Amino acid sequence: MASIDLEKMRQKIKDTQWALVDFDWESPGAEKITAKQWPKLKTFMADLMWIEHVGARGFAALAKSAPTENLREIYTYFHAEEQRHANAEMALMKRWGMLEENESPVPSANLRLVIEWLERYADDTPFNLLATLIPMLEVALDGALCKYLLETVDDPLCHKVFAKINDDESRHLGVGFTVMEMQGKGPHYIKLIQLLGHLVDPRLIAGAMVYFPLLNSMRDNLIAMGMEEEKLYRSMEKFKKIGGRTSQGRRNPWFQVIHYHGTIMVNRSNYFYHVPVDMLVALSNKIPRRLLPAPPSWVAELTHRPIA
Amino acid sequence: MNDSTINNQTHQILDVIIIGAGFSGLGMAIQLQQANINNIAILERDKEVGGCWRDNQYPGAACDIPSNLYSFSFAPNPNWSRAYSSSHEILQYIKSLVSDFELQRYIRFNTNVKKLAFDEKAGFWTIKTDETKNLKARSVVIASGPLANCSFPNIPNLKEYKGHKIHSARWDHDFDFSGKKVALVGTGASAVQIIPELVNKANHLTIFQRTPAWVLPRLDARTPHWVTSLFRKIPSAQKLTRQALFALHEIGALGLIWNSPLTSAMQQVALKHLQHQVKDPWLQRQLTPNFRIGCKRVLMSSDYYPALQQPNCKLITWPIARMSEKGIRCVEGIEHQFDCIVFATGFDIGTQTAPFSVKGIGGRDLGEDWKRGAQAYKSINISGYPNLFLTFGPNSGPGHNSALVYVESQLNYAVQGIQRILNEDLARLDVRKKSQEKYNIQIQKRLSKTNWNSGCKSWYLTEDGFNATMFPGFATQYSVQMSQFEDKDYDRTPA
Ligand SMILES: Cc1cc2nc3c(=O)[nH]c(=O)nc-3n(C[C@H](O)[C@H](O)[C@H](O)COP(=O)(O)OP(=O)(O)OC[C@H]3O[C@@H](n4cnc5c(N)ncnc54)[C@H](O)[C@@H]3O)c2cc1C
Ligand SMILES: [Fe+2]
Ligand SMILES: [Fe+2]
Repeated sequence: MASIDLEKMRQKIKDTQWALVDFDWESPGAEKITAKQWPKLKTFMADLMWIEHVGARGFAALAKSAPTENLREIYTYFHAEEQRHANAEMALMKRWGMLEENESPVPSANLRLVIEWLERYADDTPFNLLATLIPMLEVALDGALCKYLLETVDDPLCHKVFAKINDDESRHLGVGFTVMEMQGKGPHYIKLIQLLGHLVDPRLIAGAMVYFPLLNSMRDNLIAMGMEEEKLYRSMEKFKKIGGRTSQGRRNPWFQVIHYHGTIMVNRSNYFYHVPVDMLVALSNKIPRRLLPAPPSWVAELTHRPIA
Repeated sequence: MNDSTINNQTHQILDVIIIGAGFSGLGMAIQLQQANINNIAILERDKEVGGCWRDNQYPGAACDIPSNLYSFSFAPNPNWSRAYSSSHEILQYIKSLVSDFELQRYIRFNTNVKKLAFDEKAGFWTIKTDETKNLKARSVVIASGPLANCSFPNIPNLKEYKGHKIHSARWDHDFDFSGKKVALVGTGASAVQIIPELVNKANHLTIFQRTPAWVLPRLDARTPHWVTSLFRKIPSAQKLTRQALFALHEIGALGLIWNSPLTSAMQQVALKHLQHQVKDPWLQRQLTPNFRIGCKRVLMSSDYYPALQQPNCKLITWPIARMSEKGIRCVEGIEHQFDCIVFATGFDIGTQTAPFSVKGIGGRDLGEDWKRGAQAYKSINISGYPNLFLTFGPNSGPGHNSALVYVESQLNYAVQGIQRILNEDLARLDVRKKSQEKYNIQIQKRLSKTNWNSGCKSWYLTEDGFNATMFPGFATQYSVQMSQFEDKDYDRTPA
């Protein structure tokens, strides 16, 4: 994967749009979901769809801090495309009888905290951090979650929809890794000092406090569903390989931090990391619902209906 | 009206042909008439006068410069009913110019100009219209308007939509909005005027926004009765009011044109206005511009934000992917279906391109010459195109003051030029290329320091980011530069 021409990419993105109405949501195949699969699949889809939605909000923040007009427009599209993924996944859930009319899946407590954090701080998060973190999450999604889903679900419509979603994701990754390499340009020490400054920023520490447990609980959900841990390792390796394929990419200090963290995250034998983080997971699950703030209004934009 | 023969002289060479019967064209005729130049005609493609105020009769249409300033100084109107008059009232004012100054006799309606070509030996312009017979004139004034041609957005499959389509500048007064699901594309100057009206008429209104603009509150009010009678009895009181308004808007230039402490202050006001009227953080974020105030046209409205928050109104900021038979598909994957789509998407900007084919000396083509960016001398003459005058030519636009102040300077300058052609019997009065170049280097240098060129995309700039629209300075500066016809910058060739 060589660095891509971001100007051409913008046009490519515009030329490859799709919509929920492109699919027949009543077509046969929904019955292929087994009764045994159903409850876990429901949790999985809800998590997946919320992750897309949270990713969408991340792109919205990137669009705001993007250094060029072109990237600003690309991220504006990606923001909407992640929303499209969430909408399409909700439409699948509706098709499989996992949602009532007008119902949205309930986010886990962890996700609620992440949403709250995004609402407060996403727009102030340094561009370089978000622009490196999002590709990592996308690799994890693309490489592990989606692949796993397609291996276990036989509904042909699901496969058709995810073919489109994965096409979008490959463009997201193409842009993501190109931007990560762009960040490797310039004097190393300045970037390092900036990074160290950010690492002690309380807003970012708060972010880590909600984000680390989210990853851990997602990982546990996946493993509970029967996914091998191997898959997560491999997707993290992929992130490391592509992100670090050039010296420029490796010189992006955020890449170093994030891939290091990713490696620890998937390695469950690292107790120094996992014991406290798992405690945070348990803790956040104990927060009474009524204490969580009302979700921000961007959450209300989600819909499973192809036509408005 | 008393001399209908003028209207029928097609065979002879007229002294001046004016293209367009909006504010500029009619104002030109008035000024020429006052300079005793009567062998003139106004060609208008429509069947009525009024220009953009005839075309923009959408609900809520009004000026956003106070009427006492947005009118001709030589034709004061004591009767303006509001601070910011409606389009309807402005159109009435324009019609009153026609009757008060007896302009009817000059106007040829339904005459669409297609082509101008200069005969350099004989020194006249040939004007080709829809009609078979060509017209001839020693001078031509192009007053076809800076914002006269509707622009539709560049959305894929635009034609596929089968529902009702309306452009804000060609309103369909017969369409009944009640009970309808309506979309409005655009959030510019027209949109913020239409939305508060339409939201009360339509069953549901969805707004599609690409980029938000800065919105300042508009302090509109009915004119009290005593003011109208005061203006009627003591015209100098109205003149004084106009001067005060002018000065006030000139101060605004400090904030709007250049980045100054006033810019930050104005931006703060706009931000506070938004935060005061919109409480939801996400909606606030969607409506917050990411550029400095002044970079794009600043909007004036006190009822736009409240209208957006009506229960039957929704703002959509997802990019539009394409049109479909029943509506608009956005990138978030949803097809939004409507009974009617209103395009409040503005105009093709007249200052940036030739309005029709214009052939100058040696057959040179204006469209070709302006391909890399429109240029003129003092916005009004173009080297190689003698005896031709532009209103709202390149770099003549105000961002902070009444456009008509600029027009008046242009009219005055054009009269001086036309008088030279007629009195000295010139075949060609042509601005020197060097002088034009020098002028434009100056203009572009000054533009580079303005807010318009500070990095946002706007209709002030071409696709390549060239600013051929705005005049980088105060209206007063513009008036000073236009007050004196610069003979030394022109080549004159006797007939
Ligand atoms: C909705 C709107 C609101 C505005 N509000 C303000 C404001 O508040 N303050 C301000 O200062 N400015 C405002 N403007 C700017 C406005 O364009 C100018 O103020 C001014 O009215 C322009 O007058 P004009 O005569 O030059 O052009 P127009 O009014 O556009 O008149 C041009 C005329 O030329 C005719 N024409 C065009 N091409 C041809 C052709 N080929 N052959 C024959 N005839 C032709 C057209 O039919 C039209 O009648 C506004 C513009 C619009 C559109
Ligand atoms: Fe996605
Ligand atoms: Fe993605």
